Amino acid sequence: MSPDEQPVAADDAGAPDGGDTGGPPVALPPDASRRLAELEDRPGHKGMFTSDLSVNEFLLVKEAGFHPLGFVMGSSIYHLGIQTRRWSQSQELAKLTEAMYNARELAMNRMDAEAMELGADGVVGVRLDVNYYEWGSDTAEFIALGTAVKAEDGRSYRNNQGKPFSSDLSGQDFWTLMQTGHVPLGLVMGTCVYHIAHRGLGQTLRTAGQNTELPNFTQALYEARELAMTRMQDEANALDATGIVGVRLEEKSHMWGDHTIEFLSLGTAVAKTDGEHTIPVPHAIISLDG
Amino acid sequence: MTELQEAMKALAGPEGPSDDRAGGGRAPGRAPGRAPGRSPGRSESQGTGRGVTSDLTIDETLLLHSIGWEPVDMVFGVAWWSIPWGVWQWQTGEVTEASTAFAGAMAEAADELRAECAQAGGSGVVGVTVDIRVTAHHMDVSLSGTAVRRVGAAKVGFEFISDLSARDFVLLTQAGWWPLGLAAGASFVIAPRRSAREWAGQQGQNVELPNLTQALYQAREGAMARMQESGQAMQAEGVVRVKMREGPLGRGSRVMQFVSVGTAVHLRDGRHRLVNPAMVVTLDDPAPEFAAESLRGGG
Repeated sequence: MSPDEQPVAADDAGAPDGGDTGGPPVALPPDASRRLAELEDRPGHKGMFTSDLSVNEFLLVKEAGFHPLGFVMGSSIYHLGIQTRRWSQSQELAKLTEAMYNARELAMNRMDAEAMELGADGVVGVRLDVNYYEWGSDTAEFIALGTAVKAEDGRSYRNNQGKPFSSDLSGQDFWTLMQTGHVPLGLVMGTCVYHIAHRGLGQTLRTAGQNTELPNFTQALYEARELAMTRMQDEANALDATGIVGVRLEEKSHMWGDHTIEFLSLGTAVAKTDGEHTIPVPHAIISLDG
Repeated sequence: MTELQEAMKALAGPEGPSDDRAGGGRAPGRAPGRAPGRSPGRSESQGTGRGVTSDLTIDETLLLHSIGWEPVDMVFGVAWWSIPWGVWQWQTGEVTEASTAFAGAMAEAADELRAECAQAGGSGVVGVTVDIRVTAHHMDVSLSGTAVRRVGAAKVGFEFISDLSARDFVLLTQAGWWPLGLAAGASFVIAPRRSAREWAGQQGQNVELPNLTQALYQAREGAMARMQESGQAMQAEGVVRVKMREGPLGRGSRVMQFVSVGTAVHLRDGRHRLVNPAMVVTLDDPAPEFAAESLRGGG
């Protein structure tokens, strides 16, 4: 496969131990550059924006002092490798973890590259999806989408890596966050694909009919979760974040069967801005709709 | 009279509740056998005591009245375009026949919707449901929504089609933005097959599949670019609430489809008006967020 056959330059970022979400700048496919160029204002050509924000979100993003620039996306169709698992051993499956990291980062970096092309300060409402199709048992499509936005006051909101921030917060959450004097820095994630050992016959017999904890299962789930959360926190630390909001922990078996689970934690790293912010006291309401 | 009473009175139509429905059921123009979308009977009955037909909720209707608009009638536009034989089989790359059929069907359905709306005396259509079906031999687009107009307005020009709800329409117009029409684009790309050597080389590896990724990119860029062009043709300043459908066309298919539809909007007097939202805490009981299935990786 020659490099020019690829839609975008390959990217080898995304080691399983997380850390830097950076990686070399990603070249955009020519079609994408052309489409994005159409969105921008230039002499003799009036630009426009596209966005998948709802009207509420659009107005709140404007309210927060940002203007949408364009609907940006990145995707990668990825073939996941194979790793043998020991029936009776709980372990991380490093090769699969790496695949999940790599594929998501390919998609996210491509989305970031589109946002950079538009000169964005950030991407809001980011969604990360994995779709499985019928092309093969180990093939999945990883996709990242969001709306690129730019501050209307001319300030730069890019993060310490010089990239636009990305955030999976909705327009509503984004506005609320800005009201509290915080700014988003980036979407951070940690993942861990873990194989949970089967129990031996002896163990099964001993616990039959008993009220008892199953320490090997408990431990395995604990460890996998901790690994994923730690990796997410490492990414946030690399961005000099003061916190992570809206963390979601997803546990999915994808296509690997019962005992192999991916733990994915995702959240938006935020930092406090200078200056005092008084948060208005919210009104309590009871809505009358069902 | 309170605003609510006024609105309720307006809801009942210009001359109070009509007995048109009780007598003859639907308006005369709805009789089968008439050309679809050209139903003169309905427009004739408009303004002569016939009630309003709309799929808006009471809330939405009241909201519309609060900005001086009212629903008029439900309107439809349907178009089927055929796709020539064999275009899905004998090539790789973009199937331009299909995207042309999409653009044609979309434009035709919108024209029909516009004609129905104008006949009903409306000046715009809100809450349009866009239903797009792609089969091997034809492309179907059907649009249905509620025609609206300014309260008491006589014949006015046609202004917009929008798939935003009436609620969104009210919010958008308060901020100074107006819908223009539906911006849409579609592209269908057939991915090349992997060679046997490529396939063998990828087994057991963590690798990206460039043929499929590339096809999806091509489909997406094609569709998004067309959506932008259709927005720009309407002099739009933006397209909001873009909805997209992407992925293979049918199970196991190598045809990658990408369809995107949104509402093109523009800033009417060049000035965005802030909506100044208030922070509220609802005291309703929250929906349970914990689902036991998630522990089993069921999703």
